[in-house]
Amino acid sequence: MRPAASVLLLTTLTGFGYGLLAWLGACAALGLLPAGRWLAVGGTALALLFATFGLVASTLHLGRKERAWRAFTQWRSSWLSREGVASVLTYPIAIAFAAAVYRDGGGIAVRLLGALAAAAALVTVFCTSMIYASLKPIRQWHNAHTAPDYLIYAVFSGAVLLALLETAMLGTPGAAARAAALAAAVAWAAKRAYWRHIDAQSPLATLASAIGLPKGTEVKPLDAPHFTENYVLREMGFTIARRHAVKLRRIALLVGFAAPLVLSLLASFSRLPLAATAAALVCAAVGLLTERWLFFAEATHVSALYYGRRI
Amino acid sequence: MTMLPKSPPGAKKLGLVIDLDTCVGCHACAVSCKEWNTKGEAGLLPDYDKYGAEPDGVWFNRIHSYESGAGDGCRTVNLPRSCLHCEDALCVTVCPTGASYKRAEDGIVLVDADKCIGCKLCSWACPYGAREFDEDAGVMRKCTLCIDRIYDKDLPQAEREPACVATCPSRARHFGDLADPQSKVSQLVKKRGGVDLLGELGYRPTNKYLPPRKATIPTAPREAPTGAASGIGGALLKLLDRALSR
Repeated sequence: MRPAASVLLLTTLTGFGYGLLAWLGACAALGLLPAGRWLAVGGTALALLFATFGLVASTLHLGRKERAWRAFTQWRSSWLSREGVASVLTYPIAIAFAAAVYRDGGGIAVRLLGALAAAAALVTVFCTSMIYASLKPIRQWHNAHTAPDYLIYAVFSGAVLLALLETAMLGTPGAAARAAALAAAVAWAAKRAYWRHIDAQSPLATLASAIGLPKGTEVKPLDAPHFTENYVLREMGFTIARRHAVKLRRIALLVGFAAPLVLSLLASFSRLPLAATAAALVCAAVGLLTERWLFFAEATHVSALYYGRRI
Repeated sequence: MTMLPKSPPGAKKLGLVIDLDTCVGCHACAVSCKEWNTKGEAGLLPDYDKYGAEPDGVWFNRIHSYESGAGDGCRTVNLPRSCLHCEDALCVTVCPTGASYKRAEDGIVLVDADKCIGCKLCSWACPYGAREFDEDAGVMRKCTLCIDRIYDKDLPQAEREPACVATCPSRARHFGDLADPQSKVSQLVKKRGGVDLLGELGYRPTNKYLPPRKATIPTAPREAPTGAASGIGGALLKLLDRALSR
């Protein structure tokens, strides 16, 4: 599948934003927010900023942007529509949460709204993941890894962002850096497990079944319908050289997860906490974009079979 | 509404039956489809870089040619590929706007070009690659089963069929109601063992394909390749060849 910049930005930026909101909300619900109201208020603003950038980026690839409002109507069947609805509903909940923290600093309203904000953020990420997980013709997406993985990467990127925010505002990352390190380890393991899974999968179909011939019939393409690339091949026939994929996977693991893990640990031991948490954020962003690029580039679509491509 | 419709009792299931045994791969159906739909109600079917090095455009119907089997069983199979108007049309349910829909009364899957936001998700949901994006209009396009022909009361009854069916010179394409077991198309599917493409993916396509049949006319054994001519004639030919090659 063609890795379009709009969806790469959408999924990574909203991951950071909703991940941060989930951490703030969950901490507030459990009464674990550090003293002072500005971390939660500023953090919520930052989370919404990230999410908004991501959501705006996602509209860039639309053919008719002026009609984007229509995407809120089909939530009964479409995960894309559900994502739209959930993302919009998250705004008032997040704003109410920040307002409650600003007014009271703590208390039952803060706890309740915090839990609600965290839930809304995670539900939005889940809806995004299901857009991909529900697509039956793409074996690398239509599996049990996609949804939990998206949630794990959001929680990880949110933790990295929270660690930086706490360091910048309070001078010390507190428990956030340790949480980020732990999340990085989980994310590393999840990505490894995902790659093991898709490498072991067998293709969803064969060329014989694609053209209605009995199973096992030997078929090879003779003539394609057209000499140049068409929409289907550009969009669904994207291929990536195996050796490039191996290299990029290594970069994603080392830069995206290993480096933030080490840097977050450094910060938690008060070694240059601001520089370490800032570097962790940059590494996580670069690594996650690489990982997300691969998520698309390595995904194969059944329709490419018709053109004799391997799926 | 992108929920799949509950068909009323007695609803039609209009679709195509395509005979892979008699399709000669001439692309006439694809050309005829392009011609009809580029002037149809839905407006132009775009072409890009028409006279350039990389011509491209939107087609609802694409014809592939394959070689199947090996040795004496080896044959060419031509596959016209277009929307199969699936019963479990994932392209419809993933649509966030309601632009993509399946008609309850006849099962035809359509795109409402006035509602489509061009997010392309429906094309990702289709395993057959049947949807193509219109870069000019910014919306998704697909086969309409020539809905502007098959219901056109101004046309004589015999012409109320999709352009691809009307034009097929080898009569490899058939149009009809696959919900009616007595219809010509249903009978063909029954008699010839019509199959689903990619049945294992569970989209339950309406269109059926009739598999190629075994040749009933014995084919003449292939001539053994002629080796170099021998004897005095061969020597003379060799001499001549050498003289002429100089």
